[in-house]
Amino acid sequence: MAKKVAIVGVGMQKFEFRKEETVEEMIFDVTRNALENCHLSKEDIEAVVYGSAVDAFCGIHNSDKVAIDASGGMLRPTMRNSTSGSTAISTPILGYTHVASGLYNLVMVICFEKMSENAAAQAVFNTVYDEAFVRPIGLNVPIQCGLEARAYLHRYGLTERQMAKVSVKNRGNALSNPYAQLPMKLTVDDVLSSPYLAWPVKRLDTAPVTDGARAVVLASEDVAKELTDDPVWIKGVGRGADSVWFMGRRNYDLGRLDYAYLAAKQAYDMAGIQNPMTEIDYAEVYDPFTYKEMQHCEALGLCPEGGAGRMIDEGISFKEGALPVNASGGLQGEGNPIGAGMSRLCWCYLQIKREAGACHVPKDVNTAVTNGWGGMYQYNAVMVIGRD
Amino acid sequence: MENRVCIVGIGLVESAQSIFELSHKELLFYSTRKALDDAGLERKDIGGAITSSYDFLEGRSLSNQFTLDSIGGVMKPCDLRLGEDGIYCLFAGYMEVMADPSKFVVVASVQKASERDSEGLGYQKLIAASMEPVFSRPVCNSIPNLLGLEPVLAAMEARAFMERSGLKEEQLARVAVKNFNNANSGREKSAINLKAVLESELFSWPIRQLTRAREADAACTLILASEKKVRSMAQSPVFIRGIGWCSDQSHLAFRQQGLARETKWAAHQAYKMAGIQRPDKEINLAEVSDWYAHRELMHCEVLGFCNLGEIGSCIADGVFEKEGPLPVNVSGGLLGRGNAIGTSGLTRVAQVALQIRGQANGYQVPGVEVGLAHSWSGIPTATAGVAVLSKW
Repeated sequence: MAKKVAIVGVGMQKFEFRKEETVEEMIFDVTRNALENCHLSKEDIEAVVYGSAVDAFCGIHNSDKVAIDASGGMLRPTMRNSTSGSTAISTPILGYTHVASGLYNLVMVICFEKMSENAAAQAVFNTVYDEAFVRPIGLNVPIQCGLEARAYLHRYGLTERQMAKVSVKNRGNALSNPYAQLPMKLTVDDVLSSPYLAWPVKRLDTAPVTDGARAVVLASEDVAKELTDDPVWIKGVGRGADSVWFMGRRNYDLGRLDYAYLAAKQAYDMAGIQNPMTEIDYAEVYDPFTYKEMQHCEALGLCPEGGAGRMIDEGISFKEGALPVNASGGLQGEGNPIGAGMSRLCWCYLQIKREAGACHVPKDVNTAVTNGWGGMYQYNAVMVIGRD
Repeated sequence: MENRVCIVGIGLVESAQSIFELSHKELLFYSTRKALDDAGLERKDIGGAITSSYDFLEGRSLSNQFTLDSIGGVMKPCDLRLGEDGIYCLFAGYMEVMADPSKFVVVASVQKASERDSEGLGYQKLIAASMEPVFSRPVCNSIPNLLGLEPVLAAMEARAFMERSGLKEEQLARVAVKNFNNANSGREKSAINLKAVLESELFSWPIRQLTRAREADAACTLILASEKKVRSMAQSPVFIRGIGWCSDQSHLAFRQQGLARETKWAAHQAYKMAGIQRPDKEINLAEVSDWYAHRELMHCEVLGFCNLGEIGSCIADGVFEKEGPLPVNVSGGLLGRGNAIGTSGLTRVAQVALQIRGQANGYQVPGVEVGLAHSWSGIPTATAGVAVLSKW
């Protein structure tokens, strides 16, 4: 049976558009930060798990292999996971299975991405598609997401103004986040008047291009209780993936993310959560585009299906709201280094531990949920963490 | 140990020739279908799916995700990995089953080298791209022709190994002859003898055309389940008794050449988990990475199949021959069957599992109870995985 797994520390670093450090130095930085935060040395770590979305971003084949020494992984088991954006949460899930299977007691999970090494991230994204049928159209993330956003707004009768409010909220929240790349004081009209990337997605609906890394230290029950009196447990994990042919999805509707509902159900079943709207105190959801936060809030059951518009209109997801979402700024405000979106999990942990500084929500947080979205726009990973 | 993990289905599509009529997605579909039939399962029974592949090799970003449909992973609790050799799928799958014993987990990998110009510059550029960019990669500039990059790096460690163990080129060549003959067993005698190997084209001494595995196409799918789930199944299960994986230093320049420390540590973990004290006595058969002929010997030494420094006498005594006390690579290994980079690790596991089941048609070794599969991720990495499989 699965063993209990706790998060005992996180390693943070400022997100920037272009970092001067190499991939190796970035990883060294967060590894050391994480080890210091949980008072461990690199000799204590038994295994290392890496997550990075696409090798072509930093131009290194097997990019984790250049950072074995920097992460304390030398002569230790190391494994690398990659599911594009959802790497953010699927990597800690892989770390979770390392501990839950009983093989290891202390595992370092490191997610990193150095986007500034490539000339055009969207040209790289074009290479995820089928070379015969889709690649020649020139499809990339904003175009695909424009299609998806249109289908979503149409299906549930939501508006671009509601999308814009998410951007204002998240970039505003980022003003109190010391690691954030793009904190901004905006109005809804600023967002609505920014240029379209792919209708209805505008520039200020879109997260910036970012370099950065994050680390999380996972421990088994015995070790966690030695390290801390107040461990934060991983209570539920879930993953779901639809067909890679976006034109061949089960429900023939890009607007409803069946796979995200599947992933959330697994995680909640495992955590024993029946009504997420009342049982979840805090959420960090994956928001590379503003409508994505809305879609993911629905899929995670933080509002009724189709109710994400009301959620933002009524301020439920504001920092002071009943169910705060992305009080750290999310990807919109903090920055979006694809794989290192694991920052979402780090912030959930910091909120529960009351170590989130100025980002703190004005209520007690005992249970939090976070997710990562990616793959070929068809993969979702969900994690529920909290106190006993 | 009530919830041990076992292999319940094996699907293998391999070919020494290039497979032109199937795409790599179709190759993987066929191997998955075979594995499901072998286990007596259907797509609806799949509880999780894991794939691995190398992006740069496929010319596709997120190449592991792209094959999701082929392995029946759609709308399943999925987990996908990449950037590791296929044998890592087995490790990830093992942990997945240990964490949730109610699942059948499909682990799969595919490689279609024939879609690239595998003898051309492509693969060498990829090796250059795997090197650390600031200090190590510029070394490629000092090689007159980039085509020589991989042989030069392989030759460095081969020479360090030969220097330390006192081996001669003839002894490396005997490994190649053994594996080519093994690959041909049941059919006509291989035309490749010691003379042919030693006279084959020299890339960078002692790396020759026939002491380096050529690339091939392959797809491999395994289905893993916990012991409890297995009791009702048709096929006799093969238990995964020990697993271990490990990486050595990133920087080529600081690494101790010719030692294969990563394999030694991976084996150490796997043996500890499996409770094996004398690998040379307790293991009946092994499939180890023979990407280059010297690598098979290096690996046999650190896997504990002989004492340090005694590898020469083991070759002379024919210890690793098919009829010997510890047959190594009776399937022909990478040298004999071709190397499907990224998939060959999982293929090694499948071959050992077939031997334990007694289903290795044409090259079955009698009485295999405990077998070992090993894989190394290739130049310039120092990453290896070891799995110990057994009948009980």
